Amino acid sequence: MSAPHIALNRFGLGARPGEAARLGDPRGWLLSQVEGGPPSLVARGSDPAASADLFRSFQAALRSGDEARVAELRREVQTHGQGEMASVLTTRVVSDRPFAERWVAFWSNHLCVSALDGFQTAFLAGAYEREAIRPHVFGRFEEMVLASARHPAMLQYLDNVRSVGPGSVAARRPRRGRGPAADALRGLNENYARELLELHTVGVNGGYEQEDVEQLARILTGWGVAGAGPERAATAGARAEELGFRFNPLLHEPGRKSVMGRTYPEGEEGGMAVIRDLARHPSTARFLAEKLATHFIDDAPPAAAIETLERTWLETEGDLRRTARTLVELDAAWDADYRKFRTPQDWFVAVLRAVDAGEAGGNFPQILQQLRHPLWGPPSPKGFGDLRREWADSDALMNRAELARTLARRAGRGLRSGRGAGTARGGGPDLRALAAVVALDAGDPLGGMLTDGSIPVDERIALAFAGPAFQWR
Amino acid sequence: MSMDRREFLHSAGMCLGGLATFGFPEVHFANVRQDGRLVFVLLRGGFDGLAAVVPTFDPAWRDLRGSLAADPDALLELADGFALTPGLAPLREFWERDELMVLHAMAIPYRTRSHFDGQAILETGLDGPEGSADGWLNRLLSVMEGERAGISIAAGMPRSLTGPVEVASWSPTELGVVEDAYLDRLSILYRSDEALQGRFEAALGMLDVGEEMDAMGGQPRRPGADAGSLFRAAAQLMAAPGGPNVAAMEFSGWDTHANQGVVGGNLDRQLGRLAEGLSAFREAMAEQWAGTTVVVMTEFGRTARPNGTGGTDHGTAGAGFVLGSGVARRAVVSDWPGLADNQLYENRDLAPTLDTRAVLKGVLAGTFDLTAAQADRVFPGSAGVRGMWELMT
Repeated sequence: MSAPHIALNRFGLGARPGEAARLGDPRGWLLSQVEGGPPSLVARGSDPAASADLFRSFQAALRSGDEARVAELRREVQTHGQGEMASVLTTRVVSDRPFAERWVAFWSNHLCVSALDGFQTAFLAGAYEREAIRPHVFGRFEEMVLASARHPAMLQYLDNVRSVGPGSVAARRPRRGRGPAADALRGLNENYARELLELHTVGVNGGYEQEDVEQLARILTGWGVAGAGPERAATAGARAEELGFRFNPLLHEPGRKSVMGRTYPEGEEGGMAVIRDLARHPSTARFLAEKLATHFIDDAPPAAAIETLERTWLETEGDLRRTARTLVELDAAWDADYRKFRTPQDWFVAVLRAVDAGEAGGNFPQILQQLRHPLWGPPSPKGFGDLRREWADSDALMNRAELARTLARRAGRGLRSGRGAGTARGGGPDLRALAAVVALDAGDPLGGMLTDGSIPVDERIALAFAGPAFQWR
Repeated sequence: MSMDRREFLHSAGMCLGGLATFGFPEVHFANVRQDGRLVFVLLRGGFDGLAAVVPTFDPAWRDLRGSLAADPDALLELADGFALTPGLAPLREFWERDELMVLHAMAIPYRTRSHFDGQAILETGLDGPEGSADGWLNRLLSVMEGERAGISIAAGMPRSLTGPVEVASWSPTELGVVEDAYLDRLSILYRSDEALQGRFEAALGMLDVGEEMDAMGGQPRRPGADAGSLFRAAAQLMAAPGGPNVAAMEFSGWDTHANQGVVGGNLDRQLGRLAEGLSAFREAMAEQWAGTTVVVMTEFGRTARPNGTGGTDHGTAGAGFVLGSGVARRAVVSDWPGLADNQLYENRDLAPTLDTRAVLKGVLAGTFDLTAAQADRVFPGSAGVRGMWELMT
C-alpha cells in the first residue's frame, strides 16, 4: 500500500474517487486534521431540551400503560434515533477530516455505552457521543472520562444511577416499603466502578484489587441524572429542562475512601479527584498506548510504537491531540507490512466513500445490524473489538460479498442515470478511478476483471468491494 | 464458466479441510468417534448459577439470598435439595430421560471478576488470561486429525473456535442475491490472499448447506428472532449429511446487576428462552441427537448476596449444564462448598470446587472417545486436572 492509501485507509475512512492522486503530502494531510477544534457533524442532532422532553414523555407513557400514546411516541423516538445515527454515519461518509472522525469513533468505542441496554441508554447514545466524547477528542483524556462519567447515558448504562451508599442518609432513612424488595434497592452497585478501572482507565492488569472496586463504587455514589424522572414530563408553559448530571448528597456514602493507595474526601469532589488520578495513572498510559497501536497499525503492533505512544501520553498527561500527532509520526504507521482487517462499519463507509455517495442512506442501521456492527450497539461495555480474528469469519466475508453486489447494482443504476460517484464525465463508469480507490497490488487479478468488458459493469464494481484487497486497511 | 461452483472448487484443488468437505466422501479415522457431535453454548455476561440451580438445602441459603431467595414451593426439585428455577422447566424432559447433568460450584481455573478475562480463559481453555489466542474448540478439531468441521452459529467467530483449523461461521443473514459467476470470480481473487482464502472457501461451502436446508424446508432465522429458531437452525446444519460436528453458540444478556427478579422475573424468563431453545434443538436433531452433547457454561458466577439494586455483581463459581444422550445419569454434580459466610470465597461468592476443564475433558472423552492424552492436548497445562471420565457413558 502506498503512503496516500495508508493515510486514506489505515487512518481515514477510505478513499474517494481521485483522492489518492490529489493528496500531495499524506502525513501533512493527517496532521492538519488534528489541528483546530473537534470535527463537526454535518447535521446537528435534535435540540437537547426538546429531546429531553420526548425522553420523559415516552417514559411517562410507558408507565401509564396508555398504549396509543406509547405507539404515537414510539415513532417519534425512532425518528429521533434514526436522526442521531444518520448524522454520524453521513458525517463519516462525506467528512474532509476522516482521520478526526476515526479518532472520535475510537474514543466513543473505548468509553462506549450500548443501545442494547434498553430504551434509556439507546435514546441517549447519540447525545453521549456528541456531548461527552466529540468535544474532548483533542483535549485531555481525563476531561473526556469525566464527561463520560457524568453523562446520563453512562450513568444509566453501567448502573451508577442506581447505586446507593449503604451508609448514606437515604439508605438509613426509615423505609416506606417493607420486606426484602424495599431492602434490595438501597445499596451499592459496583458495575460502573469495575469497568471504569478495567475498561476505561488502568486496565485489568492495572494494579487494583476487589477492595479498590468497592471503594471506588462508594466514592461514586450520589452521581446521578438530573431531569430524567417521568414525573417531570413537560407541563404546559413550563420551560423544558435538559437532562444532565446531578450529585445527590443523600445517596452518597459518607467518609473518606481510598483507591489504589490514595485517599479521597467525601462528596462530589472525591469522585472528580479519583477519576482524574485514574486517567493520569501510568497503567492507563500503557493500556491506551497499546490499544491505539493495535487499532491503527496492526493486531500485533511493534513494541517500539507502543512505547513511543506511551511516552507521549505520560509527558503530556494524556493530551489526545499530541498523542494523535505522535501516532501519525510513527515509522510503523507507514510500514506497508502492517495491516488491519476493516471492521464492518469501516468497510461499509469505505464503499460509500468510494462511490461518492453523499449520505449514508436510509437503511444503514439495519445493514450495520446484519453485519454485526450496529452503531452504538456493542455487545458489552468492552466495546467492539478490531482484531482480524473477531471480524474475518466466513459468514462476514459472504455478507460483504452479498452486500457489495446489492450496493453495486444500486450504484450502477445511479451511473446509468448519470448521477453518483465513480462516474466519469459523459456518464460512463470510471472503473480506472475505482481501481485507484482499491489500491491494487501489481498482479492482483482484480485489475484484469475491472477492465474485462464481458463482465457486467455493476458486477465489476461489486468485485472491487468484495475482493480481498478492499477488506484491509 | 460452465462448471457449477462445487465442481469448480474441486477442480481448483481447494477442498481443504473445514467445510469444503461438505458433499464429499468422509474420511474415517479409527481413533475418534465419527458420530459424535458437540455444541458449546457460552452465556456471556456471567449467569447467576445460584438463581438457576437453587441449593434450597443449604441452611444459609435463604438469609444469604434475601430478596433473591425464591419461594421453594415454586421451584422444580431435582435431587439432593437442588431445584431449578421454573423458567428452566423444559430441562425436566432431559432430566427424566437421564440426559442432563447439572454442574455446580464450578469455575474457570483462574480467579477474576472480569468478564473479558473470564471469557478468554473459558474460550482458550488455558489457566490464565495470557498466552495463546487459539480457542479450545479449534484445538479439539486439530487433535481430531483435522477431519472434523467446526462452525460458529450466528456469533461471528468466537475465541473458542479461533485457530489454525479453518472453521466456518453461519448466520441466517442474506444481504443480496449473488450469481455463481460472481462467486467464482471472487474465489479467484481470494486465492491470492493467504489469510482469507480458507475463510472464503468455507463461506461457499455454507451456501451449499443453506441450499440444502432450504430444500429440507428449513426456516432461516430472521435477525432478532428467538433462541429457539437459532437452535433449530443449528440442528439442521449439524444433522445435514457431512455437517459440522463441533459448533459454538452464544447468548448475551446475563450480566444481571439490577432487578434480576426471582420466579417469573427477568432472569427466570431469560433462562426459560434458553431452555426452550435447548429443547427445540433436541427435537430438531431427531435421531441424530444420539451421540450429540451440549455444554452450557459461563465465565463466572455472581455474588452470593444480592447487591444494592436487586441484582448481583461479578462473582466466582456458578452452575453449568451438560445435556446429551451419552450423559451417564441424571445428577447434580457438586462438591458443595456451603453458603455460610466463612465458606464463601472472599466472604462474597460461591466458592469454586470444580474446574470447567475437568468437565470439558469428560465431555470430550464421552462424545468423541478422546483419550486422556488427547484431552490434555486440547487443554494445555491441564494434565494435573483429572477429567470427569464418569460424566458420560
